Amino acid sequence: MRIPTTSRKLLLLIFTGIFVSLASLYSAAADSAPHVTLNTSKATPRQVEPLTERAVLRDYKFAWTNLTQALESNSTAPLNGLFEATADKWLKDAVQDQRHTGLTSRYLNQNHKVDAVFYSPEGDVIELHDTAEYDLEILDGSKTIHNEHAVVHYVVLMIPGAERWVVRQLQSVPQF
Amino acid sequence: MRHLLSLVFGAVCLAAVLQAQDVTLRGPSDAAAGSAAKIATTGSGSATFYLVGPSSTVKRDVQLGQEISLSPKEVQTAGRYVAVVCSGSCASAAFFVAPSKPVNLTFVVHPSRAPVAKNDLISGVTFTFDEFHNLVLTPATVDFQLSSKGGTPVSHNVQTQSGAAWFRISSGKAAGPLQISASLNDVVAKRVVQQVASDPCNLRIKGQRTAKGIEVETDPVRDCSGNPVPDGTIITFTAKNGDETSTVDAPIKQDVARARITAKGPVVISAASGVVMGNQLRIGGQ
Repeated sequence: MRIPTTSRKLLLLIFTGIFVSLASLYSAAADSAPHVTLNTSKATPRQVEPLTERAVLRDYKFAWTNLTQALESNSTAPLNGLFEATADKWLKDAVQDQRHTGLTSRYLNQNHKVDAVFYSPEGDVIELHDTAEYDLEILDGSKTIHNEHAVVHYVVLMIPGAERWVVRQLQSVPQF
Repeated sequence: MRHLLSLVFGAVCLAAVLQAQDVTLRGPSDAAAGSAAKIATTGSGSATFYLVGPSSTVKRDVQLGQEISLSPKEVQTAGRYVAVVCSGSCASAAFFVAPSKPVNLTFVVHPSRAPVAKNDLISGVTFTFDEFHNLVLTPATVDFQLSSKGGTPVSHNVQTQSGAAWFRISSGKAAGPLQISASLNDVVAKRVVQQVASDPCNLRIKGQRTAKGIEVETDPVRDCSGNPVPDGTIITFTAKNGDETSTVDAPIKQDVARARITAKGPVVISAASGVVMGNQLRIGGQ
């Protein structure tokens, strides 16, 4: 079967469009996936066990993935139980307020350099210092009202939950 | 006429550009959580103001050139805020809100029951928070007070680092409640650790044959610090007669554990509690 030249061009255009859309979707997904490194060598008074280090790194990265999705979609569903107590309330309030005002926040190209600075003697709380670098975009509806490359310091308290380490406090500070 | 219109249009455009360029924001330099704050603006005309904080978002109309007042409730959460005003184009400024004074201590002490005379067994960790649940990171001195019945109160002053202060101590020699308090200014948090007797020490038994069997009992069972081991602690009596071995578990009642062993021939009886062994007792045959 022969395809006319015009149809061929049209098909090529459609496939190119689909490819470009998929590529941009993939690129957006890659941009929003946080990159996290954790250094536990300075933690006192207890040394962080290798298994705990892996679990904290995994769950902190997961927490930021969920936070990003929640603030971008204005939904608390992605928070997924990885935040507790104050951190959970603050985030839910932020999402609710954003929904109310019609704003959304996007955290892109995240890079977190995390140091564990305190690990309690019984291993029931860990304090992290996170130097986070990201592109923050704030939108009112579809209009971008703020765009910046930010370096923000966070003090984080995490506690072991039933299955995961959960974020109990996530507080940004001018410096450590 | 056409020239005049072009001139007016140009002037309007220039004014709009100048106005957009003139708008600047200056956030507060020393904002504290739960205290009103002000953001200075330049420019003129009306604009939309946005404030995006760690737990809140605000959107309202403002007049440029005037200060924007932030209510205490709008800045309760410590952290980084982004203030934006949009009037044609947008201008923004970031500022930090610091925690207010500490009014709450979270204080976790482990364990709740501690055997006496164990090294570095009891530990406590405290974090300082303000009334809005912000972690207070300014260094402060937490006073840990430890007191037990008949003992001299002990005090440890520890300076918080990144909001945390902690201690670790050995348990005392006497069984009983150990009162532990953490205080910072007027804020006090209290916890109690129940110090209990440790493993039995110098477990000794005595016994005699009676018509019903061999009656064995321990001397009053105490730990190495002289504290009576709690009632209910199991003492295992073992009787050996050649190749035959029989055991009886007996709980301590009022410091003493008792058991009756039915054996007719000569036996060697011993007692144990956990990993602690007592003396051996030889009882002749009937």
